[in-house]
Amino acid sequence: MTIVKESAPHLRRKASVTRMMVDVLIALFPTLVFSFVAYPINTLIFYLTSLAIMIGAEFIYVGLRGILPKDGQKHTFKEWFNHAYKGKYDQNNILAPAITAIIYTLIMPAGAPIYAFIVGAIVGIVFGKLVFGGLGSNIFNPAAVGMLFAKICFGSQYQQVSTWYYTIPDTVSGATPLGVINGGMHASIGDYQLFDLFFGRIPGTLGEVYKITIIIGLVYLLIRRSADYRIVVSYLGTFSILMLIAGLSVMGLGTGINPFMFLLYNLLSGGVLFGAAFMLTDPVTSPINPPSRWIYGMVAAVATVLIRLFAALPEGVGFSILIANMVACVLDHYEWSSSRYTWKKFLTMGLLIVIPALIVFLAIFYGGTYNG
Amino acid sequence: MIAKTRHIEDTKKLLGSLPAVRYVDPEYVYLPITNARCAKGDLFIKEGDHVDTCQLIGMRHGPFFEQPIHATCSGTFVGIEKHYHRNGKLVDFVKIKNDFKDTFDKSAKKRTPEEIAKLTKDDFTEIVKNCALVGLGGSSFPTYVKFQTDKKIDTILINAIECEPYITADHRLMLEYPYRVINGIQYAMQAFNCKKAYICIKSKYKDLKEVYSQLLKEVEGIELCCVGNYYPQGWEVEMIKSATGIQLNPGELPSNRGIIDFNVSTIVGLYKAVKYNIPVIKRFISITGDGINYPKNFRVRVGTSIKDLIPLVDGYKNPDKEKVFILGGPMMGASVPSDDCIITKTVTSILVFDKHDEKEEPCVRCGSCVLSCPVHLEPVQIMNAVKAADKERIKKLNPLKCIECGLCAYSCTSKIQVTDYIRKAKIFAKL
Repeated sequence: MTIVKESAPHLRRKASVTRMMVDVLIALFPTLVFSFVAYPINTLIFYLTSLAIMIGAEFIYVGLRGILPKDGQKHTFKEWFNHAYKGKYDQNNILAPAITAIIYTLIMPAGAPIYAFIVGAIVGIVFGKLVFGGLGSNIFNPAAVGMLFAKICFGSQYQQVSTWYYTIPDTVSGATPLGVINGGMHASIGDYQLFDLFFGRIPGTLGEVYKITIIIGLVYLLIRRSADYRIVVSYLGTFSILMLIAGLSVMGLGTGINPFMFLLYNLLSGGVLFGAAFMLTDPVTSPINPPSRWIYGMVAAVATVLIRLFAALPEGVGFSILIANMVACVLDHYEWSSSRYTWKKFLTMGLLIVIPALIVFLAIFYGGTYNG
Repeated sequence: MIAKTRHIEDTKKLLGSLPAVRYVDPEYVYLPITNARCAKGDLFIKEGDHVDTCQLIGMRHGPFFEQPIHATCSGTFVGIEKHYHRNGKLVDFVKIKNDFKDTFDKSAKKRTPEEIAKLTKDDFTEIVKNCALVGLGGSSFPTYVKFQTDKKIDTILINAIECEPYITADHRLMLEYPYRVINGIQYAMQAFNCKKAYICIKSKYKDLKEVYSQLLKEVEGIELCCVGNYYPQGWEVEMIKSATGIQLNPGELPSNRGIIDFNVSTIVGLYKAVKYNIPVIKRFISITGDGINYPKNFRVRVGTSIKDLIPLVDGYKNPDKEKVFILGGPMMGASVPSDDCIITKTVTSILVFDKHDEKEEPCVRCGSCVLSCPVHLEPVQIMNAVKAADKERIKKLNPLKCIECGLCAYSCTSKIQVTDYIRKAKIFAKL
């Protein structure tokens, strides 16, 4: 019997990164099935493409990272392969890009051309993740990076696709109902029933529209503690408060819109719930201490609300996730990062609600118009 | 899993119900000439000399204090051998061959209750100093320094929480010698002229609650205080907060707030020192872990070699596997490179684990270490600063506050040895 030394502590909790990632996959599964049932052909092609690109990119990346030193000797291919992959390529190198690929597919519209989809996937995994150093090192959410890149470059070539599940009415020609909103909200709010919003019978992306399955996935993630409830609560809470204020202001204009319906409509349209459940809560791109996580969720919510109400693009959630990812690095700076709640942090949180609320109120009520 | 971790799974419930096996007469007794706090030591005896139990045989010299060495059995001094000390270093040990007569030195004399009633605080300090009483919870801080405080003390806290998983030595001591515990507390109350004392135990220990709620009915001023079941509840600051509601500032001594705290083994040591004028010569230890066959509690003589005890637990389980040998608790205890160690006063337990090789995954910044840290540090940030060798950043992150409880590494989702990085950061921060 041999006795070896080991530094304290000698016990470890039963938890692993792999388990967390499998949890996310399980949480994504209902949405994945739903999207597959609704758009069978497109979805199958999209999933296979994105999974192949992202897992393949990670595989090549691991190989490149393990390249043999130039010491003048001749190395066989086998030698290089063993050096690069043995012990360095494991289940995490498959699970992590697989999650990114599935999220990326779910936030792409069914009518995106395949070349746009491929370019977006490559940009997302390479420039969103691998250039930073792979798992655990990326600053931005790779799926959001890829989706926005494709959207900005090829957005005008996106088309609407009809299936048995959802047929596009002749009168609407926007990309998503939010596109419709931005065109003129008063008219469109009655166009979609809440029931349709809930079950995704609206134009939109492959997966973001099925609110019912997203909520199931979110609840699963929160129960399994694989997502931090702070981010979800602060994001959805701040979003609701600001949208309620916007709804009240719109009602104050004399439009006769019920502010709570306005809020519910905004919560259930676009990628708010999907972003809150699967993208913002990605631990790698969020800050590490609890107060910063509250602030992080609030920043993302403020960005979403302002972009939705006042900017020309309908894609509020994608941009706000990237903005919040940038803020996360600032929040983690060692000069002020700490896990204690201080009055300065409460002040920041207060200002993050009060100032955007004022902007929303003044712009809608006194500005009279918002986006059209 | 993003969660605050405070509960560590263990086997305490089973082990705590096993009565301690008496193994008080080993063939040889080994006493360290130096220890972690005292780097030098002198011996007053020569090879072949006969020693009595509790006889003063030497003196350890530390930077701030001196510590007498007492023989813990009667017999013959046969030589000096090197063995592993609790801190993992090879140290010279005095080897005494036990003659199994246990003749006490003349310095050991029983004090009558009247004599004890007349003792003042200075007398107590003198007795404790001469008996070389130290903190037996593992800190080995000299107890007489605590007695020298000139602050007004109004609360005495007895730390019987034993929050480290797997260990049940203090639990058995509480159950098997309750009168020694209570008398020891009364002596401490007399010394500090203080009217209130609390025995802090985990609220899940129903057996201790039953025993002590009966016994304490007749005793004035001592109460049972049930505190949380989590780790690190036994840390001084956390215990004082749970028991009295007072939050100490970092680095503040409890005596500033009128509180003084002792480990329960120390208080029994105080009882022995005051009543019989003898040092600690026997103590409770637990031998447990998944690497041995039958975990047991023991009452052993201080100085027993662990090699003598291993056959009593029926040896090692799966001897072909690599083992980790730990003196102390699994969260903070030191791992020793061999089982050739000696039980000193401050060894609370022996743990033998099969070596588990945990595969380290990349940090995904889940934040479990930040949520779990009892002193509100950010272990992952400190780890990144150490990797970047950024001294300024390390200092700003304040790693010196760390109590090395090990929760950051325990809770790590990626199985990273975070605590090791914090230890490195402490070295950086002191530069």
